[in-house]
Amino acid sequence: MSALSEKLLANTSKPERTPAVLALEDGTVFWGTACGAQGEVAGEICFNTTLEGYLEVVTDPSYAGQIVAMTYPQIGNYGVHRADVQAAHPALRGFVVRDMCQTPSNWRSEMSLPEYLVAENVVAIEGVDTRALVRHVRKHGALRAVLSTEDLDGASVVEKARASAPIVGANLVQGVSCATPYSFGCGDVAAGKDFALTPAAPTRYQVVAYDCGVKRSILEGLARIGCEVHVVPWNTPASEVMALAPDGVFLSNGPGDPDAVADTYREVEKLLGEVPVFGICLGHQMICKAAGARMQKLKYGHHGGNHPVANLLTGRVEITAQNHGFNLVFPSLGDIDGARSHGFAEHAGDLRTWVERGVAPVVHNARFGGIRLTHVNLNDGTAEGIAFTDIPAFSVQYHPEANPGPTDAHYLFTAFARLMDGRSDYLDIDIAQDRLQGWRF
Amino acid sequence: MPKRTDIQTILVIGSGPIVIGQACEFDYSGAQACKVLREEGYRVVLVNSNPATIMTDSEMADRTYIEPITAAFVEKVIAKERPEALLPTLGGQTALNVAVELAESGALARYGVELIGCSLSAIQRGENRKAFNECMDELGIPTARSGYAYSVEQALHIVEGIGYPVVLRPSFTLGGAGGGIAHDEDELVSIVSQGIELSPANEVLVEESIEGWKEFEMEVVRDAVGNGIIVCSIENLDPMGVHTGDSITVAPAQTLSDVEYQRMRAASLAVLEKVGVQTGGSNVQFAVNPRDGRMTIIEMNPRVSRSSALASKATGFPIAKVAARLAVGYTLPEIVNDVTHVTSACFEPSIDYCVVKAPRFAFEKFKDSDDTLSTRMKAVGEVMAIGRTFEEALGKALRSLENGRAGLGVDGHTRASESKEGYASLLARPTSDRIVFVGCALRCGWTPEEVHAVTGIDRFFLDRMADVVAVQEALRGVPIDDVDADAFLVAKQYGLSDVQIAFLTGSSEIVVRTRRKALGVVPVFKTVDTCAAEFESSTAYHYKTYERPVGAGGAGAHDSEVHVGSALKAMILGAGPNRIGQGIEFDYCCVHASYALHEAGYETIMVNCNPETVSTDYDTSDKLYFEPLTFEDVMDIIDVEHPDGVVATLGGQTPLKLARALEESGVPLMGTGADAIDLAEDRDRFAGLLDSLGVYYPPAGDAATFDEAERVAQRIGFPLLVRPSYVLGGRGMAIVYDIAHLRRYMAEAAKVSPDHPVYLDKFLESAIEVDLDCVCDGDDVYVGGILEHIEEAGIHSGDSACCIPPFSLPDSLLGKLRDIAWRLALSIGVRGLLNIQFAIKDQVVYVIEANPRASRTVPFVSKATGVPLAKVAARVMAGERLADMDLPEDARELGYHAVKEAVMPFGRFPGSDVVLGPEMKSTGEVMGVARTFPAAYAKTQLAISYELPQSGAVFVSVADRDKRSIVSIARDFARMGFEVVSTGGTAKTLAASGVPCRTVKKVSEGHPNIADMIASGEVNLMVNTPFGHGSRGDGYALRLAAVRHGVTYATTLAAAQALAAAMEVAREDGLDIIALQDLY
Repeated sequence: MSALSEKLLANTSKPERTPAVLALEDGTVFWGTACGAQGEVAGEICFNTTLEGYLEVVTDPSYAGQIVAMTYPQIGNYGVHRADVQAAHPALRGFVVRDMCQTPSNWRSEMSLPEYLVAENVVAIEGVDTRALVRHVRKHGALRAVLSTEDLDGASVVEKARASAPIVGANLVQGVSCATPYSFGCGDVAAGKDFALTPAAPTRYQVVAYDCGVKRSILEGLARIGCEVHVVPWNTPASEVMALAPDGVFLSNGPGDPDAVADTYREVEKLLGEVPVFGICLGHQMICKAAGARMQKLKYGHHGGNHPVANLLTGRVEITAQNHGFNLVFPSLGDIDGARSHGFAEHAGDLRTWVERGVAPVVHNARFGGIRLTHVNLNDGTAEGIAFTDIPAFSVQYHPEANPGPTDAHYLFTAFARLMDGRSDYLDIDIAQDRLQGWRF
Repeated sequence: MPKRTDIQTILVIGSGPIVIGQACEFDYSGAQACKVLREEGYRVVLVNSNPATIMTDSEMADRTYIEPITAAFVEKVIAKERPEALLPTLGGQTALNVAVELAESGALARYGVELIGCSLSAIQRGENRKAFNECMDELGIPTARSGYAYSVEQALHIVEGIGYPVVLRPSFTLGGAGGGIAHDEDELVSIVSQGIELSPANEVLVEESIEGWKEFEMEVVRDAVGNGIIVCSIENLDPMGVHTGDSITVAPAQTLSDVEYQRMRAASLAVLEKVGVQTGGSNVQFAVNPRDGRMTIIEMNPRVSRSSALASKATGFPIAKVAARLAVGYTLPEIVNDVTHVTSACFEPSIDYCVVKAPRFAFEKFKDSDDTLSTRMKAVGEVMAIGRTFEEALGKALRSLENGRAGLGVDGHTRASESKEGYASLLARPTSDRIVFVGCALRCGWTPEEVHAVTGIDRFFLDRMADVVAVQEALRGVPIDDVDADAFLVAKQYGLSDVQIAFLTGSSEIVVRTRRKALGVVPVFKTVDTCAAEFESSTAYHYKTYERPVGAGGAGAHDSEVHVGSALKAMILGAGPNRIGQGIEFDYCCVHASYALHEAGYETIMVNCNPETVSTDYDTSDKLYFEPLTFEDVMDIIDVEHPDGVVATLGGQTPLKLARALEESGVPLMGTGADAIDLAEDRDRFAGLLDSLGVYYPPAGDAATFDEAERVAQRIGFPLLVRPSYVLGGRGMAIVYDIAHLRRYMAEAAKVSPDHPVYLDKFLESAIEVDLDCVCDGDDVYVGGILEHIEEAGIHSGDSACCIPPFSLPDSLLGKLRDIAWRLALSIGVRGLLNIQFAIKDQVVYVIEANPRASRTVPFVSKATGVPLAKVAARVMAGERLADMDLPEDARELGYHAVKEAVMPFGRFPGSDVVLGPEMKSTGEVMGVARTFPAAYAKTQLAISYELPQSGAVFVSVADRDKRSIVSIARDFARMGFEVVSTGGTAKTLAASGVPCRTVKKVSEGHPNIADMIASGEVNLMVNTPFGHGSRGDGYALRLAAVRHGVTYATTLAAAQALAAAMEVAREDGLDIIALQDLY
């Protein structure tokens, strides 16, 4: 950074520049300048394609262990409003943008994003060719990375990335789960969105939520359909949960490798069939693991707000918010039950085949009986949702609570309420009608 | 659901001529639709009166009718072709309106034609504001407080409840025509009375003003089973109060938090559902109160719109193509993403760049009209720019506009600095230049907050612009040799052009460029791929930006996404923004060249910055670079692609201006070389050439000062045609009759083009003007068409109606014209197209000018003759010989007449005189084809005004020199049953000749006078030829009144004569329809 370039920026909104570096384990180095806290962090690199909603991304506990790059180049434009945060403190390791806005503009803004990042001690870098980074990750997969404002020797930072711990096999959940149980009800919904959202419904259900790193918007989504939520730590024994005699159990989203969270899914196995269960993201994976399924790591994950997911029950497509790096291997749940799958008795190589056939196939699961594939990602044919046919349980890999992203899948909250009401047609909901629920225009 | 098999033939309706508010974006969408429907195996029947479109190329549809888009003509087409379905959503408001008319009249039911894409009831709910507001009430989506007025009194009553200011919107008009903001009763009365007349429903919405709120648009696509997606969100830089077509707009939305955006998204999808849009693209517009986030819906269009074209180009998601497939039964998930080829079209594009659209205005053409921007669109074109940041994209957009500017200020073209206070009024009033004044104000000490208070522009944009200005000012005065790589990168990332850097550092563009490249600061090319690089894409749709290199060491490397192949490469430079004088015709030529060169084995590379066009469709050429057409931007692409040839002669003046600089930089030009271009454009060299060939031309001279001009005038004599050098569309052109007028012209002309002299030509009064378009390969010349103008010399050729073949010229004369064309083309050294303008007076042929490039008549000539001239020219440029192309004999008898007529935008510019002159003012053109000239001419008049007067009063008032000739025309009108009405001298002449005529008072003679008659709708037709120049008498006022009240008028005798003949033919014989496919 030359003296003249500093002079050119001297009277702009940019602060004095501190060099920063992002190095990947394969030796690729990106240079930029700091736009958050100073420091050095290691994590797995991933990217998010949502255009707005950066604060929700930064504060999503599922990003624990990861360094997140935003694909939209200018981030921070509308500042920070605390009602939008998904957790009290960010859990991600680092943040990468092309251009950070220092002077945001929005009537709700309380501070700038860089101010927030500094206050929350999140190391961040700007000035990076983020599209080049994304293309690199697309080609080479999710790599280990180190982001530093302290060590500016590229080769040295690359070595640190190589030496850092991979997230495969790591239990990142324990770091973001609550330490002790707490309650979340309609009175806890943040007031900062009241201009756009209708008030929460009166309490009708008692729900226990396993907190594997739950997003605040999920708790608010549950509260809005009338749940008094008892949030419990990730490894709470099933017996303690059942002792609360809940109307339903919710399994939250969370970071990292599902195989590493055995203390959750072993308890889930005990709960399934005993009480209505709904899972989102890691919660969905916990249900799958409880049913004995196998998980796979995706090359670079799904992180964004524009993935089309086909609902095999209705034929409708939802535009969904996504944030996961691991995914269910659908055939590992069991063999196809041809009789309940329109006569198709074989697993399809690509799950999109079921979309074309208009069939929601059912597998026979050794532990829980029938499990129906309900949702499929149209981009890559991965499994996105399942519903048990013999016990009251369903789950999705994506994020009906959105935040950030489109709210097409809001109906899944409604479905959970119906499930707790004991309805068998709980998933039979008009998406378009339901999408309007809760908005104040 | 798979596609429908119960329909075989689909009628597609285009949008007609290019007018303000409805431009070539509908050629883009319509052409896409035709392409897709034919791919799907349907028989496509097309109706569109605009010959300058790709969609009316005979190979785009099975049956192409270049006929007026009126219910009567479309019904004739339906009766003849018997389509089972009509797709009305891709031809703008024009197509939608005619579809509604046909549905309501029962014609569609009578012939069993189904509306696809949108039902009649959905159109009505979307377009009728009352029905729309009721729908919104049911959804709970707020609309501005409002009421409907069918009279001025009702409007006044509504305002009592709302208070001023109010926004006024006539229902069912194009681009908000007739709308406006009224701040008091006077304004209300004037806008409402006009609006009620303009609205087909005689209805005006009177609405609470939300001026100053932020404005957003959502582009939505929906399929028949209810899947809906947002393709793109757009935020307007100018707040509410400026029509979105006149506003700088930015995609994606920049200042909405997730909860605000998702609320808008949910509302948009619900709106389509509620209005009942079955399938296709729609746009929904919102206003957001910047103080509390309150959101109201403004309107929705249940069809593809200008914004859809922008959204398609901004994201790579082809809305029109998808809409066409959805209309025939497919669902969104069944359609594959055209760009990635691996993912579904049922998704919401994610973009990793910022897009800025900037409007192009033409107020300089309409001297006495108000240039304040309002809710009524006035822009004639637009540009789009892509950058990684708003700052970069804004700089690119501003230098794409071709108004002499090289970015946000500091380019030597911004007017001398005002005092700080001086900017207050310049900022308060929204005008075409306000964005520049914002830059100036920030430069001279205004804070972004102060600018925000005056303009209402969001702080986000102002803060970004303040940063750009800060970088510029810090660079000012730094010697270029001190600018290092880091500083260059910063300047470039803030959107500064080389020209601006040169201006600030006291250097030259070429020095800046050389140093920048030597320091390794070169752009990196990225791809528009709909998915922010999440998936691989094979589509080569690129833009350039500046990024810090990636790599282990300090040097690193750029991540370029351009794949340079080994094939022969031809680069085609497009025409930039549409403006008066350079419109869709040039894009048409570029697209044809691309097709032809692709067929000839070249990899074709298109460079253009106009989002409305077919040329910037990513599948028109092998590669598309969405970039400004400046030397810097074009050379940056050339440095990467190393094309084997660059075509600079098809995109009008825009690329032509670059030809010499490109050639000097060693770029191989295809076709006519820079020296040949210069030979034709340099007046002295060209005169010398004509002398040597023994060809006549009007005596001429040039002058840089008034004294020089006076000397030339004395030598040649008045009247004189005067114009600045290097003109486009006759800008700054005038006919001067005396010294005083010449003096005034010289004073004004200096502003137009300070570095170039003014040309003075002897003006040939009453000469017949002829255009000739030909192609030359160096050995042979092919004359594509000879066009006889209806209006006499002195009217800009772009504004004159013309006819192929000539209707009044003898064959011997045509032979003479062909002979001159041959000799001129060969001796200039043309390799490609040549347009020659002739004037014929007293049987003597004069050459007025020769342009060795595509002319605006090329598409019309191609449609009229069936010979695609631009393609022929491109093949010549690729080395083919005319003799080998198997072209039809160029002097053949056609057996029919094709007439082109210009479409004028006067209705948009109240106060501007409607008289035609040497300065071009038309925005578009229509074509009519028939066995006879009058019938073809009648079709063009119907295509523009939708109906011809059948009976009633015709007002005739002509200049003294026309008095003798008007008699026979007036007699014709009388014979057809019109009551001839006249004033003063004309009345006397008519009476003396025995033409029955009612004498009425002139305006100056008290009431009731002719102006009262026009205002009360008693006059159905008006013939008024202006006398002398700068007429400010009755004529001017009456012509304005005629435009305001929609009275058919003619301002030349020739046009009046043609109109009389046309009306007679239309009444007596009726007008048959002809498909292009039956002509040749």
